Amino acid sequence: MATALNVPPPTTTTAPPQMKKEEEKVDYLNLPCPIPYEEIHREALMSLKPELFEGMRFDFTKGLNQKFSLSHSVFMGPMEIPSQSTETIKIPTANYEFGANFIDPKLMLFGRIMTDGRLNARLKCDLTENLALKANAQLTNEPHMSHGMVSFDYKGKDYRSQFQLGNGALFGANYIQSVTPHLAFGGEVFWAGQHRKSGIGYAARYNTDKMVATGQVASTGLVALSYVQKVSEKVSLASDLMYNYMSRDVTASFGYDYILRQCRLRGKIDSNGCVAAFLEERLNMGLNFILSAELDHKKKDYKFGFGLTVGE
Amino acid sequence: MASKVALKTKGKASGKKASPEEKSMAQNLKEWSTWAVKKAKVITHYGFIPLVIIIGMNSEPKPHLSQLLSPV
Repeated sequence: MATALNVPPPTTTTAPPQMKKEEEKVDYLNLPCPIPYEEIHREALMSLKPELFEGMRFDFTKGLNQKFSLSHSVFMGPMEIPSQSTETIKIPTANYEFGANFIDPKLMLFGRIMTDGRLNARLKCDLTENLALKANAQLTNEPHMSHGMVSFDYKGKDYRSQFQLGNGALFGANYIQSVTPHLAFGGEVFWAGQHRKSGIGYAARYNTDKMVATGQVASTGLVALSYVQKVSEKVSLASDLMYNYMSRDVTASFGYDYILRQCRLRGKIDSNGCVAAFLEERLNMGLNFILSAELDHKKKDYKFGFGLTVGE
Repeated sequence: MASKVALKTKGKASGKKASPEEKSMAQNLKEWSTWAVKKAKVITHYGFIPLVIIIGMNSEPKPHLSQLLSPV
């Protein structure tokens, strides 16, 4: 693949030696539900989807040494239960979560366990310089509610490929290639044995220092476009469009992200009539105060949350 | 070999292989892998956090046991 890129196209203004180092740190991950994140939309997700919550949250992280830390986290507030009717049902819950993290350049372990027995575990291991193994699992005591996924990532000179295996006979593979210093294209396929579904998707990402534009199409009917513009060092604006051509569902959202010296403020407005804001204020070294608000005018659901985070 | 056929009759009618011995071997493999996955799930559920703690307590510089338990 690298030899094909040694011939510089006449339209680019960058010098030929730069074409060899086109390694863009973009990862392309699978679309369907069990996957928690996709890095191709990373900037847009960071600005438009902060971790909004309702209730009180307290997190305490204690570092025992450079690599190892423990965390204690308390949450009290209404939790939404998925219901068939249009009304949202909320049940007040309180839970405590204990966690342990070990972060090494070659190995990363992340574990969180709740009082009701739910374990959330992640593992990332660099087997060789280019091959990494990632695994994550959500285990519960209820039968058939646990999920696990293992993925092997291979990083080439200017491409990345990944193969994933999940429980329920879920197989996925994806590949992304840089074609110019700013543009990358990728594709993915997945097969879900349990639901007998398979799909294919394509994505493209164009970024410069000031902006990132991404587009993604999948055979499950999803079309997602996003655009993030870094207006200044402290401010960036993001917008996002999600369209499902099977169910004819469209959502557009627009948001901002202010990263100031003492705080980080993110806000967004949605075409579903949802307005949200998330503030993280640094009160002191290691002490952060969090405020979260989400007003859903369409469903008449208003959520407010506050919290405190102690520790680095 | 014939005894294997008698043991594994769990009602899973896969019916892919014609010979009864091959059918039971495929069933065996499936059942063993299911058993292994179940055990692995239980082991991970109970053992992952202790594993992280053990690896962390043995990393340099070694933290003290009292640091693990104290709230400060």
